[in-house]
Amino acid sequence: MKIVDVDKLSDLAAALAAKGYRIVAPVRDGDVVRLKQWKRGDEIDLDAFTVNSVKDFLMPASEVIGRYALDGDDFAPEAVAAEAPKTVVLGVRPCDAAALAVLDAVFNWDYADAFYNARRAATTIAALACRQADEQCFCTSVGGAPDSTAGADAILRPADGGKRFIVETLSEKGEALVAAAGEVVQEGEAAADAVAEVPVRFDAAALAARLAENFESPLWQTLSLACLGCGACAYACPTCHCFDIQDEGTRRESVRLRNWDSCGFGLFTQHAGGHNPRPDQAARWRQRVMHKFLYFAERFGRLACSGCGRCARLCPAHVSMAESCAALMAARKAAKR
Amino acid sequence: MNALETLRADAARLLREGRAKVVIGYRTRGKERAPVFITDASGAGSLVYDAACRQNLAAYLRKPEVRARRPAAVVASPPVMRSLVLLAAESQIGEGDVVVLAVGPPGEGGGEGVYHGALTLAETARLLKEKYALLAPRPEVLDRIKSLAAMSAEERAAFWSEALAKCTRCYACRAACPACYCTVCIVEKNVPQWISTAARPHGNYAWNLIRAFHAAGRCTGCEACEAACPQGIPLMLLNVLVAEEAAEAFGIKAGYDLDAEPLIGSWSADDEEDFIR
Repeated sequence: MKIVDVDKLSDLAAALAAKGYRIVAPVRDGDVVRLKQWKRGDEIDLDAFTVNSVKDFLMPASEVIGRYALDGDDFAPEAVAAEAPKTVVLGVRPCDAAALAVLDAVFNWDYADAFYNARRAATTIAALACRQADEQCFCTSVGGAPDSTAGADAILRPADGGKRFIVETLSEKGEALVAAAGEVVQEGEAAADAVAEVPVRFDAAALAARLAENFESPLWQTLSLACLGCGACAYACPTCHCFDIQDEGTRRESVRLRNWDSCGFGLFTQHAGGHNPRPDQAARWRQRVMHKFLYFAERFGRLACSGCGRCARLCPAHVSMAESCAALMAARKAAKR
Repeated sequence: MNALETLRADAARLLREGRAKVVIGYRTRGKERAPVFITDASGAGSLVYDAACRQNLAAYLRKPEVRARRPAAVVASPPVMRSLVLLAAESQIGEGDVVVLAVGPPGEGGGEGVYHGALTLAETARLLKEKYALLAPRPEVLDRIKSLAAMSAEERAAFWSEALAKCTRCYACRAACPACYCTVCIVEKNVPQWISTAARPHGNYAWNLIRAFHAAGRCTGCEACEAACPQGIPLMLLNVLVAEEAAEAFGIKAGYDLDAEPLIGSWSADDEEDFIR
């Protein structure tokens, strides 16, 4: 089997960088650990939960998708190509890797998104099986597992008590990655460590059935009372993909931007005429839960949640998706209108 | 009864007597302290208060769903009490809308904590002036501000460029702040678009500075915005800098006086600057 020593992670990153990969890895940044472009000297921290997901590198928070010049009545659009450098993301948690199938489905639904797909094609996902979970993790409730290989091109399995990783390739991209790593990845023997235990919090199939019958439940008011209506959950979410198109510029030239957006904002559904079909936070939180566990599943045959728990970890009001889902399961079926 | 038991008993009594329709406090969820909205006296036993309670619960008083349940009793440490006094001074809440379940800062009075009772807003303002007039930012924040001041302009610009580049424009800072109660925020005004909504340097600078500026003389130092920021941006550096300016130039310390005029909503004929007259 192929192995790499845990103290050789920086060497691995350096070897891949030398072969032309842009390295993205979890790196400590002040009080948080984030996935960011690795540079020599950065220490890779594979133990912490990152505040951002791989999404940031496939569908950035803001992206220029067009430019145009204006001159009187003349309108001159200028084609913009995606910046899609050859990239490897190291230490991607299985929940984040599994979430890529959601983005792949959306960005190739009725239209193949050139920007997303260019980045996706240029990106290799080197996942990391989880030895530890925290109280927000719930991958096992949504069809995932702490050692799942879904969405990964290669996976690092912690071994020998955390001293090394067993490297398993899962695709051509993964094989190319290991080939590029050269002698940092060696042939050897190692015993895989136990994976994290992630308790099942709810039954996703039963939840979908419950949701279908509870659009009008008064529970939505209770569950959303703590929500303060920001975008922290959606922006941290590896599957959330809603965006807003903005044109910014002058009378002479302009850029067209794709910016992240969130169903948690009141403005998300605000009509120009003043009406808002989702008038309160209860309607917005309902949409968030329904979209992830019912609507998306109906449309694409998979859940739009991978159980990473970032939303709960980062929510300024401690609203938890897993807690909401468990509460919905516990509640009796609401009276239909 | 110790401080926490007295707080719980008060919360239950307020609900029973109809003096509060909801008690907004903190509950334990693992290592976290999540907000809890208690409407039945039997639920008061879940209330807790300790150093892990970093959210400013006064922020909920702008939510229509919560406003519909007034009078609301709110568990409030001194910075949160200041937020409540500020909201009253700015006509967002009135006496009778809120019962203040006043707790001392975590650690005060040894391990047990201090509970000052269920207070009116006027009693809260009096308590703040008598007992908590000298609340100051954490020494670490002041030290970082000192080291920023010692930097060259270029170094300082580099520091903020790096810090603000992390902003994703999720507006968790705004959501967590009780003083951010505008129903339409300046960043949402798009005719014209005053501030770019793209998570790019230009708009990120504009957004973060204007947020701090709009809290000038209004920030009560609760640090909820910084705790809320998923990206770990040191927002208190901006807030404290602006608060120090407000104190020095206008003698304003937010959230102590129920009759205070808001700094950015008032003027004085005695102002030393000519342009204002």
